[in-house]
Amino acid sequence: MDFFETIMFPFKWLVSIIMVGFHEGLTAIGLPAASGWTWTLSIIGLVLVIRAALIPVFVKQIKAQRGMQLLQPDLKKLQDKYKGKTDQLSRQAMAQEQMAMYKKHGTNPFSACLPMLIQMPFFFALFQVLSGVSNASSSGQGIGAMSANQVQQFDKSSIFGAPLSATLLHGTPPGGNEVAVWVLSILMILAMTASQFITQKQIMAKNMSEEAMASPFMRQQKMMLYILPIVFGVGGINFPIGVLIYWTTTNLWTMGQQFFVIRRMPTPGSPAAKALAERRAAKGLPALPILGGKKVDAEAEAAAAAAVAQARTQRTQPQRKNRKKK
Amino acid sequence: MLDPTAAVVHSPKSAAAAAGSFIWNLPRNILILLLLAYRKVVSPLYGQVCRFFPSCSAYALEAVTVHGAVKGSWLAARRLARCHPWNAGGVDHVPAGHREWPENRTPRIVVLNNPDKYLAAQTDGEGRTAA
Repeated sequence: MDFFETIMFPFKWLVSIIMVGFHEGLTAIGLPAASGWTWTLSIIGLVLVIRAALIPVFVKQIKAQRGMQLLQPDLKKLQDKYKGKTDQLSRQAMAQEQMAMYKKHGTNPFSACLPMLIQMPFFFALFQVLSGVSNASSSGQGIGAMSANQVQQFDKSSIFGAPLSATLLHGTPPGGNEVAVWVLSILMILAMTASQFITQKQIMAKNMSEEAMASPFMRQQKMMLYILPIVFGVGGINFPIGVLIYWTTTNLWTMGQQFFVIRRMPTPGSPAAKALAERRAAKGLPALPILGGKKVDAEAEAAAAAAVAQARTQRTQPQRKNRKKK
Repeated sequence: MLDPTAAVVHSPKSAAAAAGSFIWNLPRNILILLLLAYRKVVSPLYGQVCRFFPSCSAYALEAVTVHGAVKGSWLAARRLARCHPWNAGGVDHVPAGHREWPENRTPRIVVLNNPDKYLAAQTDGEGRTAA
């Protein structure tokens, strides 16, 4: 066992036990054990477990972004200090001061690389489990928590005639329908890249503050918006159908999460935040309370609520005009 | 003024010593190239996510440049372990190393990661050329 395998072993085990768990559960409620659809649902179950486990991280990040409103004045001061200084070293100095400020206020809008890093070994593990299925099946071995029987069952299972362990590039195991593998792979690669593209595009168009839009990173990021789908498209032809299912599902989750964030908890100072403020104003709701600053703002909130109540009574006035007309 | 052989000639080292230092520095330089490629290609994908200044990849690059492959990697790994959503983040510089660079040849990453130190020097220089 080499170094990489030793590290991957617990992840492979965890990935396979979650999948087997879902598979057992699904067969217990009456789904056919050998069906590719049962295994597909097990893979989707795995995605749901991993993404649900990451929700606390995500919520923390959203709260931190809201907390940013509290330090807007300080941020403004910092921007004025570095106004017109566009050389890289000054930008770096500004970034440094900004980070020091976040730490002082105990809020940081960035999520750190952990949420991304933590998904990677799971993805590799799944990749290894799924691409190892054919070999393990022919030699009668188990993988991680999957028994030899389950491995063989998985190896034989297919959706629309496409085996879950087949890849577009490296061929279809005997008994599989090659056309189905091609069609399914291409459809899923398209779905996967499209959802990724839409998510990125939405973030850039709606959920970035003006400062972030003006940053020098932006041009690079815009370029990546178009390069990335190509990279994943090319990568995708190497992936087994099972991995494509995983990736497509997780991208769809990200997209849904992003829609929710843009609609309900946008980044302060972004177009989405303005849209939300307008929607709330139209409904006569108070501006969103700032998380973290709630206790201090209790009085201000009460005042705002009173103002809204007043606004509501005032809003009934136009009705009198209508009555007059009638 | 620019003499391409200057660098070779002015060094009194023998060819063997040069080859030795090339081999000795090879792991460090390979890591530097990998990190530069990562910062050029992969970092822009995610935009800024790091809770620290300098960011983890900038920290790793400086650490490897200043401290070499072994200690630099160790420092970078420790920083990565610190960088999670429950850490407040903030400013976290690479500890000073014993490597020295000739005048005006400080590696770019060291300059960029320590803006307050080099910004003062730079504005001084600008003032002098203007005067």
